[in-house]
Amino acid sequence: MNELHEGARFLIANYIFPNDLHVHWSMMIVLYPYLSGLVDGAFIVAALYYVFGVKSLKPIARFSLIFALAFMFCIALPLLLHLGRPERNINMLLTPSPSSAMAGFGYIYSIAMGLLALIILFIYRPTLVGKVEQSKGYMRLFYRMLTFDSTNLSPEALELDRKIIKFLVAIGIPVATILHGYVGFIFGGVKANPTWSSPLMPVIFLFSACVSGIAGIILAYIAIRTYRRSAIDVNCLKILIHTLSGFFILAFCFEMLEVFSHHYLKSGFHHMVEGLLNGPLYYSFWEWQVGFCSITPLFLLGWLVIFKIKDQLYIILSGVVSFLLLLQVLFMRWNVVIGGQLMSKSARGYTVFHPEWFDKEGIIAVIVVMAIPFFLLFILSKIFPLWVEEEKN
Amino acid sequence: MQSSYYSHVIRIVLGIVALAVLGFIGKTVLTPKSFGTYGHYRADAIEEEANIEIRHWTNAPCFACHAYEANLHLYGTHKTISCEFCHGPYADHVTNGKKTGVLPVKKGEDMKILCLRCHNKAIQARPEAVIKTVTMPEHLKDQKVKLTHTCNQCHHVHAPLKYINRDKQIVGMQGDS
Amino acid sequence: MDNTKPTIDKERRVFIKKVLEGTIAGSLLLVLPMNAGGEKIPEQVAGIRDGEYDLTDHDFAFIVDITRCIGCGSCCVADKKEFDVPDGHYRTWVERYLKDFDGNVYVDSPNGGLDGYHNPRTDIDVNVRDTFFVPKLCNMCKEPPCVQVCPVGATFRTPDGFVLVDHKRCVGCAYCIQACPYSVRFLHPVTKTAQKCTWCYHRVRKGLLPACVNVCPTSARKFGDLKDKTSEVYKILQGPGVFSVLKSDMGTWPALYYKGA
Repeated sequence: MNELHEGARFLIANYIFPNDLHVHWSMMIVLYPYLSGLVDGAFIVAALYYVFGVKSLKPIARFSLIFALAFMFCIALPLLLHLGRPERNINMLLTPSPSSAMAGFGYIYSIAMGLLALIILFIYRPTLVGKVEQSKGYMRLFYRMLTFDSTNLSPEALELDRKIIKFLVAIGIPVATILHGYVGFIFGGVKANPTWSSPLMPVIFLFSACVSGIAGIILAYIAIRTYRRSAIDVNCLKILIHTLSGFFILAFCFEMLEVFSHHYLKSGFHHMVEGLLNGPLYYSFWEWQVGFCSITPLFLLGWLVIFKIKDQLYIILSGVVSFLLLLQVLFMRWNVVIGGQLMSKSARGYTVFHPEWFDKEGIIAVIVVMAIPFFLLFILSKIFPLWVEEEKN
Repeated sequence: MQSSYYSHVIRIVLGIVALAVLGFIGKTVLTPKSFGTYGHYRADAIEEEANIEIRHWTNAPCFACHAYEANLHLYGTHKTISCEFCHGPYADHVTNGKKTGVLPVKKGEDMKILCLRCHNKAIQARPEAVIKTVTMPEHLKDQKVKLTHTCNQCHHVHAPLKYINRDKQIVGMQGDS
Repeated sequence: MDNTKPTIDKERRVFIKKVLEGTIAGSLLLVLPMNAGGEKIPEQVAGIRDGEYDLTDHDFAFIVDITRCIGCGSCCVADKKEFDVPDGHYRTWVERYLKDFDGNVYVDSPNGGLDGYHNPRTDIDVNVRDTFFVPKLCNMCKEPPCVQVCPVGATFRTPDGFVLVDHKRCVGCAYCIQACPYSVRFLHPVTKTAQKCTWCYHRVRKGLLPACVNVCPTSARKFGDLKDKTSEVYKILQGPGVFSVLKSDMGTWPALYYKGA
C-alpha cells in the first residue's frame, strides 16, 4: 500500500479520490487572508510611527489606522459567506476547540478589533471632543459615546493618552501578528495536504500580508491625494517604499525557498507539488505570481531604492509597484488556497476549479466584498479625518 | 462639571469588564449541557447517531416471510449474497410490521447486468478461488445455448447451480459445476 | 461441490441456520410490531446486547481483505441506500488498481464503484502484471486529524473508538474535509454539514454489522470487537497475514486494517 507515490512522477493517468472532485475552500477563503493581510500591513505602518518613532511616516500614520479599521470591519464577511451554516457561527465563540487553529478566529478577531478601535479612539480623542461641542442631537450622543463622555483635554489627560497609545500599539503588534499568523497556520497545520503543510507557511503568509498592507496604503494614499488634488509627501513615500522592499524580498525569498525545496527533495509528495506548479498552476504561478508580479516589481523597487528619481516619476512608479504587489499577494493566496486543493490526496491526479459568477462565493460576491471596505473607509473619513492638516480647521 | 483626566480610561476598563462578564454568562447559558462530558464535544450526539433509522435489516427478516426463497438461498451457492443488494433495503418494504412498499425484481437485460457485476471474467481482478467468472457471450456459446438467453433461463437466481447440477445428474455427469 | 463458495465463516452459517430453524418463530416478526431498533434481528456483533452498553469497554476494528474483493460494488449500493448518500459524494468506494511491468500503478474508480465494474480499462494500453480492488472507507483513526482541526467540537472520537459528526453543531467550514488524508469526508450539499462513513454506528450499537460488511458476498470486509476473543477480526489480526494501514507515515493510527497489501 505504500506504492501510492509510485507513478506520481509520471502521472500517466489522472486519478483523484471520488470525494476530491469538489474544491471546498473557494474564493472567499482566498479573500479572507487577503483582507486580514491588508489589516496587518496597515497596522505595521502605524506601529512604525507610534512605537518605533519613524517620524517621516506621520502624514499617513492616522490614515493607516483608519484604513486598517475599514478592512477589519469586513474580514468576518468572507468567512460568513463561506460557512455552510453561517447561522451557527456563534459556536466558534461558545465552544472553540483548543487544538484547532481556525477556532482562534472568534476571540483573536474580537480582541484585535477592540484593540484597534481603542487605539483609534485614543488617538482621535482631541478631534472627537471638538466634534462633541460642535454637534447636536443624535450626533452629539454618538460623539459623546466615542469620547467615553469625557471632554477633559488637560495636559495630564493628553500625557496619559500618549502613554496609553504607545502601550496599545505596542501590544497591537503581537496581536496583529497572531491575527494573520494563525491564518497561515490554518494551512501549515494540515498534514494531509503537501502544498500546505510546511512550517514556512505562517511565515510566508505574514510577510506577504505586510507587503499587501503597505502596498495598499501606498496606492490608497496616492489615489486619494491625487483625487483631492492635495500634495503627496514624497519623503514619507520613500520610507514606505523602503519598508515595502524589505518585506517583499523576505516574502519572495521564502516563497521561492518553499518551491525549491520541493524540487530538490524529489520524494513522492514533493513531486506532486512540482507537478501542480508546472501543470494546472503554470500560468497563475510562474507567469503571473512570479514573472509579472514578483520579478518586475523587484526590478522596479530596486530602481526606486537605488537611484535618484524625480518626485513626479517616483509617485507614478510607487503606484505601479504597489498595484503589482497587491496583485502578487492575491495570486499567492489563490495559488495556495485553491491551487493546494487541486491536488488530490490520492497523489495521483489533479482536479479542476471553475469559479462561478453568481454563487455566494462567486466572482460578483468577491467584487462586492472587496468594494465594501473602501465604502466604509469613505464613511469613516467623515468621522475620523484621515489627514492631520484637515484637523487643524 | 468636567470629568477628571483619567475618567475615560476608567470607563473603558469598566466597559471591558462588563463585556467579559456578559460574555462569560452568555457562554455558560448557550453552551449545550452535555458538552464536555467525554471530551470537547456534545455527548448527546453519540446517542443521536446511535438512534438513526436502520434501513437494511439483514436476510433474517426476509426469510421470516419468504420461506420458499430462504430454503433455496441458504443451501445454494448464493448463500452469502444479501437479499437487500439485489432487491433493495428492508425499510423500503416493511415498516412497523406492515408491508409499505414493493421491492424491485430485476428481469431480462437488467438481470444479466446485475449478474455480471460479480461474475464478469473480463475484469481480471477476480480470483478463481473467490468467485467463478465467465464472459458473455462466450459463456452462452460454450454452453451451446441461444445467444439471446438471459442468466435465469438456466440458473435459478436464488440457487444458481440447482438446475445445473440436477441436469448433470440426469445426464450422468459428475455433480460438478 | 461448487468452487464459487467463499469461505463463509462458521459462525455466520450457524446463526443463519438457527434463524431458518426459527422461521416459525421468525414469522411472528410479522405479527409483533417491529421497532426501528432492530432488536428482532439476530445479533451479528457479540456482546453488544447484553445489558447496558459500556462506551469505554470496546475496541472495534475493521479489516478489508483485498485478495477477496471482486469489485461488485454491493457495499457502495448498501451504503448509499442506508444513508441516502447524495450523488457525487461517497462514504465508501471501491478502487481498481492495475500494475504494469514497469512499476507504474493505474487507479480508477468510476462513480466510486457504485455501478460495479463492467469493463476493463480501455483508456490505457499496458501489459497488466497485477490487478486488484481496494475498498475505501473511514479509517477511524485513533489520532484523527479531522478531530484535531474542527473549530467547534462538531467532530469527535467517542470513547468506543468511532469518529462521528455532530450534525447539530457543525458550521460547514470544511476544515475537517481538508484535514482528512484519506478523503473520506464530504460536505452534504443539502444540510451543508460535514459527513462521512460512521462504520454504521447506529447498527453496531444494536448488535448488527455495518451495512457494507453485511452485504459483502465474498467476506472481503470484516468487522468486530478486538476485546471479544471469539470475534473474527481478533483471530485474523493474530495472523498470519500481511496487514497494513493507509498512509501510516501520517501518524493517524487507523483502526482500519488492510489484509493482503
